[in-house]
Amino acid sequence: MARRKFATLKSFLNYIGVEGDRTIFTWVSASEGDRFAQVIKGVTAKVRALGPANKLVKKFG
Amino acid sequence: MENIETKLREEAKRLLLEKKVDVIIGYEKGTLPLTATPCFVTTPEEADNLVWNHLCTQNPVKFVHDLITQHKNAQKRVKPEDRKKKVIGVVARGCATRSLIIQLQERQYERADVYIIGVPCEGYVDGKALKSAIGGVDITEGSIDGDQIKMKTSDGDKAVALKDVLAASCRTCRFNNPIISDTMVGSPAAAMNPDAEYNEVKEFEGKTVEERWAYYSKEMEKCIRCNACRQACPSCYCPTCFAEQSQPQWVGIGEDKTDTQVFQLMRLYHMVGRCVDCGSCVAVCPMGVDLRKFLKKIDKDGWELFGNRAGSSMDDMPPLGKYDEHHDKEDFVFNP
Repeated sequence: MARRKFATLKSFLNYIGVEGDRTIFTWVSASEGDRFAQVIKGVTAKVRALGPANKLVKKFG
Repeated sequence: MENIETKLREEAKRLLLEKKVDVIIGYEKGTLPLTATPCFVTTPEEADNLVWNHLCTQNPVKFVHDLITQHKNAQKRVKPEDRKKKVIGVVARGCATRSLIIQLQERQYERADVYIIGVPCEGYVDGKALKSAIGGVDITEGSIDGDQIKMKTSDGDKAVALKDVLAASCRTCRFNNPIISDTMVGSPAAAMNPDAEYNEVKEFEGKTVEERWAYYSKEMEKCIRCNACRQACPSCYCPTCFAEQSQPQWVGIGEDKTDTQVFQLMRLYHMVGRCVDCGSCVAVCPMGVDLRKFLKKIDKDGWELFGNRAGSSMDDMPPLGKYDEHHDKEDFVFNP
């Protein structure tokens, strides 16, 4: 079940120190264009507030 | 304990003589002092090698899956009417029976393929804790005498109280008696201290996100990617592990810091509803990575979010395989 997986993933990532706000999960239907725009606006606003992610990022070179 | 050992040997002999099982997976005395090692008993004479004590550490259910898979593969090219049935006997304590339940629920084999010899468990000795309790010196000889462990070491005779060196997962064990069994050896063991099981997790949750990340990265920096935790884990039985897949390559195989963190994150996360806190991964880890701190959180989430304790009942569905619309929380869903 996707929802249960996301509930635990969000909680677990938060536990190991990746801010819970970075794991965002929701449902959008293909017919909900407006809602989709709202969701993306919300996500970008949340991520912008947190700043760049530097955890679990692999650096080359 | 002695008594259980004698009964266990008798029972194993009987099962092998009556041809109820083809092999029994149990423990025998290890080659180093104060250790026991998993063994495979196929003849009644060998049954005398079996031991059952506080030194039996590893979860034997890993080998149940290995043997059954191996047998199934070997039978693939045999005509259906000529196929042989193989029954695996296993000496199982509480956590091992939970692992069996998980593998059975995940349809890895049939219940009739295993014969479970249930044994009560009063916890096993954490080798690393024992070593540090005696100051890291080498043990040359040792025995367990009641609630004391007596040792001859390179630094003279030493004694340690058994309860001080029990593994962390045993101290707060909730299921130290077998949940399912075909035959029970010995009477049920006294309860441990399950009320304290999430204390460590709660304390860790109380820290700030940066402190938690600092701890996670510090622990994972110790990891040398030897995969011992995966090899010892009875819930890790994928024929090809994501860590070794190359198309796509989920995670790099080198010693890169981030690769290690991601590998561990993914392995830990695969344990949702499947980790039984047997402590095998922690026991086999050569670097002493604190895996339990993270696995216990997964167990706690399974209990608090879905009311499920991994492998605690044959009738439960795996928590990630179902959904309860009345009780599942919605708070993780993002609604702008």
